[in-house]
Order: sequence, then C-alpha cells, then structure tokens
Amino acid sequence: MPPKHIDDMDIDSDYSDISIELGNISKGRNRKGKATDKRKQDKGKAKAKEQAYTWEASFTRSWDTVQEDEAGSLQTSVEDLMARGRRRRLLAPASAIRRTIIRHLILILDLSSAMMDRDMRPTRFDLMLQYAREFITEWFDQNPLGQIGVVGMRAGLGERIGEMSGNPQEVLKSISDRIKLEPTGEPSLQNAIEIACGTMSHLPTHSSREILIIFGSLTTCDPGNIHDTLESCFKSKVRISVVALAAEMKICRDLCDKTGGQFGVAMNEGHFKDLLFELVPPPAQRAITRTAGTGTTNPAADLMMMGFPTRLPDASPRSLCVCHSEMKSQGFLCPRCLSKVCDVPTDCDICGLMIVSSPHLARSYHHLFPVKPYDAVQNESDILEGSTACHACARPFPTKAAPAKEGLSPVGRYRCPDCHNDFCSECDVFVHDVVHCCPGCGK
Amino acid sequence: MDNHFGSHLSVVVDLSPAQWHRAAADRDSPLAVDAFVSQLLAFLNAHIALKHENSLAVFAAFPGKSVMLYASTDPPDRPTPIDPNSYPPFKRLDSTVTARITAQLAADIHPEEPSALVGAITKALCCLSCSSRHCESNLLFLPDINRLSLGHDEASDPRILVLSVSPDLATSYIPIMNSIFSAQKLKITIDACQIFGPDTVFLQQAAHLTGGSYLYLDRRDALLQYLIMSFLPPPPIRKVLAVPTQDRIDFRAACFCHKNIVDIGSCAQSAYPSSASPCPSVPPVEQSSPSKHYSVSMLPVRRPAPQHQTVAGEYTPVSSSSEWDPGHQRI
Ligand SMILES: [Zn+2]
Ligand SMILES: [Zn+2]
Ligand SMILES: [Zn+2]
Ligand SMILES: [Zn+2]
Ligand SMILES: [Zn+2]
Repeated sequence: MPPKHIDDMDIDSDYSDISIELGNISKGRNRKGKATDKRKQDKGKAKAKEQAYTWEASFTRSWDTVQEDEAGSLQTSVEDLMARGRRRRLLAPASAIRRTIIRHLILILDLSSAMMDRDMRPTRFDLMLQYAREFITEWFDQNPLGQIGVVGMRAGLGERIGEMSGNPQEVLKSISDRIKLEPTGEPSLQNAIEIACGTMSHLPTHSSREILIIFGSLTTCDPGNIHDTLESCFKSKVRISVVALAAEMKICRDLCDKTGGQFGVAMNEGHFKDLLFELVPPPAQRAITRTAGTGTTNPAADLMMMGFPTRLPDASPRSLCVCHSEMKSQGFLCPRCLSKVCDVPTDCDICGLMIVSSPHLARSYHHLFPVKPYDAVQNESDILEGSTACHACARPFPTKAAPAKEGLSPVGRYRCPDCHNDFCSECDVFVHDVVHCCPGCGK
Repeated sequence: MDNHFGSHLSVVVDLSPAQWHRAAADRDSPLAVDAFVSQLLAFLNAHIALKHENSLAVFAAFPGKSVMLYASTDPPDRPTPIDPNSYPPFKRLDSTVTARITAQLAADIHPEEPSALVGAITKALCCLSCSSRHCESNLLFLPDINRLSLGHDEASDPRILVLSVSPDLATSYIPIMNSIFSAQKLKITIDACQIFGPDTVFLQQAAHLTGGSYLYLDRRDALLQYLIMSFLPPPPIRKVLAVPTQDRIDFRAACFCHKNIVDIGSCAQSAYPSSASPCPSVPPVEQSSPSKHYSVSMLPVRRPAPQHQTVAGEYTPVSSSSEWDPGHQRI
C-alpha cells in the first residue's frame, strides 16, 4: 500500500504544473496500469509460474513437461512433485474440524456441445468421463459409507443418468457407456440442480448433501430464475462445488460461495484432476448444521441408525437374498429383521436399516486421526546420532546434502514430531497419502 | 502362474517376551521362543529355496518398537563366515536374523508394553511400496505420485505373513485397519497365524479383507508343518490347494467405552478428529429409547454373543460448537 501512495505523490508532483485535467488522465492511466499489473500477479499466483492455459500452449504431452536434470535423471522432477504434495498437506489446517462420514453426492456432468472442445486432450468430454471414473473410485475408497448419483446436463434438460447408490460398480456402470452420453445442445444448470435436489430431498436434513458440477460451457439456458434455485439450495443446506473447464462464470462462483462449496477453473488436464480430487476428502462441516438445532448440544440429531450384520459362512445352506432374489449360500444377515443381503454397506431392503460392517466404519474414520505432517530436517547438524537409514523402509539416506528447496529437506530426511524418527521422502508421502499411520509411533 | 518373477514375502514376527514366556509355560502344547525361531528360519529358508528370484523381508515387533531383521535386498553387514556345510544364502539369513534378535533383546525393552505390531506391518508396507516404486520408475515414469498402484507388479504377488502371539489391542484398532486398507489398495495379501493366545479379530479381518488366510494354531509343536502347508505357496498356487478358510467373521461392533456388543447402534454422522480416544465421556445410557444410544467407535466383537439389542455406548463430541471455526470450511 505505501509504495502506491508514494507513486501517486511522485506523479502528482511531476505534473503539478500541467493542467489538472492532464494530471487526472495520467493518474487514471497509471491506475489502469497498476490494475493490469495486479491482475497479472493474481494470475501468476493462481498457477505455477511459466505454466500457460491449455489453449495458450502449443500441443504438449504430459511426458514433455517432465524435464531431465543435468545428469539425465528424472529424480528432480519427481522430487518437485513430492514437494508440491508436501506443501499442500502442510496447508491443511491442523486444528479440529468436524467432518462428515456419511456423504451424499450428486455428480452433475455437462453433456452440452461445448464439451466437444478439444482444448483438453482428447476432448473435454472424454477427459471428464475418464476423470469422473477415477474420482468415483477414489471417492468410494475414502468414503465407503457414502452414496453417489449422476445427473447429466444435455439439450437444455437435466437427465438422471445414475440413481443414488453406495455401490461404486453401479455408479461406474452408469457412466460407462460413452455413446449414450454423447454431448448435444445447451446445458441447463437450473434444471440439473433441481433434479439433484429432488433426488436428495428424501434424505434427512442433517445428512450431508453435496453437488459437484463439472461445467464446460459458458452459458446456461434455464426455464426460471436460477437465483431462486440457489436460494432453495442454501436453505436445504446443499453444498455445491463447481469445476469449470472454460472460464469463471459469475453464477457458478455464486453457487459455490453461497452454499459453502469450492469453485475452480481448470487450466489444464492436470489441474482439472487436482481440482476434482480435492473434493474427495470429506468437507469440513458447515457451522449452520451445528447451530441449526435448538442451540443445546443435541447429538441425537446428528445420528444415524446402523446395523452390524453377521456374515454367513460360505458353506451355509442356500437361501434367497432380499436384494436380487438369488439363491446363494453366502451373505450378510440384517440384525433387525434377519433378512439376507448380498453385500454391505447397504440399506436393508426389508426394514430400511443401514447395514455396515465395522471395517467400513473404521475406514470412514481415518480422516479423523490424521498423521501429523513430518518436519523436513533442514540442517545436517539436526541429524540424530545413529540414524543412517529411513526408519520405515531401511533405505540409507543420502550422505551429501542436496541444494535446499522450499518444503524439501536438503538431507532427505523427514521427522515425525511424535516419535522423532526420520523417514525418507517416499515413505513420507506414502505414510500420509496411503497408510495414514506412522510406522514409528504406530498411530 | 509360471512366470519368471519371484514372489515376495514379508514376515512380521511378534516377539513379545511376556507372551512367549506364557507360550513356553503352556500346559497343553508348549512352544519356546528358540524352538519357534528355528522353525521360522526353516520356513524362511524354504521360501528362498523355492525360487531363485524369491525375495524376503523379516520384521519383528518388540514391546514398544519394531525393527527390520532382514531384507534380501540388503547388502550383507559383514562377510558371512564360509561354512562348508551350509548354503551361503541360508547361512546369511540365519545369522542376520538371530544376531539382530539377540541384539534387540539385549537392548533395554519394557516387557510390559504391548507389541508394536502395527508399526511392523506399516514398515513392511512402506518397504513394499518403496521397492515397487523403484522398479516402476525404471520401467516408466508415472507423474502422479498419488497413484501407488502395484498393478503391474502383480506378478510378484507381494504378501505379508503375520505371526502373532499377542491378543488384540483396542487402541490399535484404527491404525491397524488403516494399514489393512492400504494393503487392500496395493493388492497385498495379508496372511495371519495366531500362534498363542486368544483369536485375534483384527488379524481375522485383515486376512478376510485382503484375501489371505487366517490360521489359529492348535498344535504348536507342528508349527513348521502348518507354515509350510498353508503359507509357503504363493496366492496363485493356493487357488488350486485347499488352504484353511474362515467360516465366520463377526462384523458386529462394540463401543470403546463399554466394549458392549452392538447389533444395532446409532453412529454420529460426523466427528471431530482428535488425538484422544473418540469416546471421551460417558453420559448415563438410557435403555428406554434405542434411538438415543449410539456408538461412534467400533471395536470388532470377538465371538457371537447372546442377543444384545439396544445396548450401545454414548458418545459426545469433545468439542462444543464454540470450537467450530467457520473459517475452516475449505480444506
Ligand atoms: Zn442379492
Ligand atoms: Zn432389515
Ligand atoms: Zn523410507
Ligand atoms: Zn511417528
Ligand atoms: Zn460405550
């Protein structure tokens, strides 16, 4: 702020003897220049330095962006990627956040003609389908008790592509047929959101309801006022997130900001995927949900009945299952009505009880006990006596220090703040992204 | 099945002195730790003898700490003495494992602490992921480091065999489940063998979820035979063998605070992450209205128990709404 002030002062004093009008003009021009400067800066902040929008760049392949270092090795590029992951993890707030365990998500896919653009290879449409599949797999992996439904926006209408389901195979099947999803016409945000809200309207108000829109178009053709839809979404506490492929649209930004979702414009293929996968971990719960009650802590409103089934042995006598009416010997017994279902987690077809197994529940809780981020050991003097190899994989640490880089340890060591053991960068990533359990402290 | 890749085996050995002392004093079928180690070494030798490409890693869980005892990729510490009567790789394996066990037991350990089984399993997973990543980066460059799929590596059939003597530890439930799930994701089979003590439900679930087999050892003197018959053949060969399977796995849960068996419970839809146990306070349980009982933590149940209908623990989130910070909406 102060430099700007001085700038203006300088200009004022320089041109003070010229007419006021001219001074104004020069001031105005100056301000304009600053504004563009600022925009440039913002842009630069939003994306990695010399990285361009896909449509600005010439044809690139992902392997072109990987650079070999002087020694002809790919190691440095790998390290950069790891450092990026580390920094992202460090940014995550360490304080207590309430996270939802049972999530309901409607994935809205843009199937308008804008999706046939080739600015993302091979086309936006194909890329979206591919990433949507990966997203669904990862999402169910992290939220085994969640449910996903799929809605498409095509020819000015919203159409239900996949029913709400907790089975990843069913959801993947609904978007497996590329021909059936062929993009045409204009998208309609309002119609699609109305359908999504309708699908989720039967859910209890305290359950988490989310909409994720992958939007490639720059227009929406709506039958009514979309702001009314937005208002009703806000009221029913549906969280809307948008990943735009083209550019930022005011209405999309509003949808996200107002409902507490995330908005992002994908700059290229990799960024598109990053934006999608950011939505995989359960969102922190909104304060509204918490205070919506009577004000007193009423945990019962936050609860969901669950049944823990008994698994029948493979050699048990064959009987009909209630979900597919098939003769089978294996299955799970609903604890309330003792009917047999094929797979868990599911809702019992007879009594409607949610049936989960304890491992599923445990899987959903791993977000709640994250491993603390490891500290990068910065100086050779910090190396503890007798630690020559990674505590987890027993691979020896490099003996000579590498040039320091932001977020990376020059000596290749990352230390757990709890057990004070050193780990190599690969194990650091593996522990935090996959295992969620520190090998040193065992928790 | 007939590939030129070897199969990888990681063995996690529970060496809790207290439990092994009890096992040696067992009236029906005693097994001393030295007898166990010699049978284990025979089994490990059998594994590396099966195929030249077979690789092996051995981890031990001591009270409160876990160490790697042997890895076939490790360069030998010191030149092994030439013994004309033994095959050098066997000799190297035997001497390394026994030397490291002795060294660890000589160091000060606190026998009352529970075995660091989770740490040992996690280390085994880290080793597997590192070694797979190393051959992966030689083969082709995958820029996405988050995808640690061992898919291409399926030929080597990595598996982890856990030889446990300790009972389940309630506090390690979440970490052990986390390691099981990552093993599942990486397509690593976990086999488990409970040599002494009560059945462990955690390892049962581990074997069930990763497609391995769980074995409870009734006759401890026949350990080597059990090991060779059921755990030596790699998973593809097991398909044509009749390996022991589990009939019944209990998926019911109990709450951490009372360890009550819950058939139907209510579960908080969301919870705070906390380093503390998730069941910090226990308000009086109201038996009258089942909808008010719920359990947030789920410890698997050991055995089918008599009908429990509405018993469940109460869980109140530690933090009140005041702790909630709307500024953290975004992750
Ligand atoms: Zn069925
Ligand atoms: Zn039922
Ligand atoms: Zn390591
Ligand atoms: Zn640690
Ligand atoms: Zn309880």
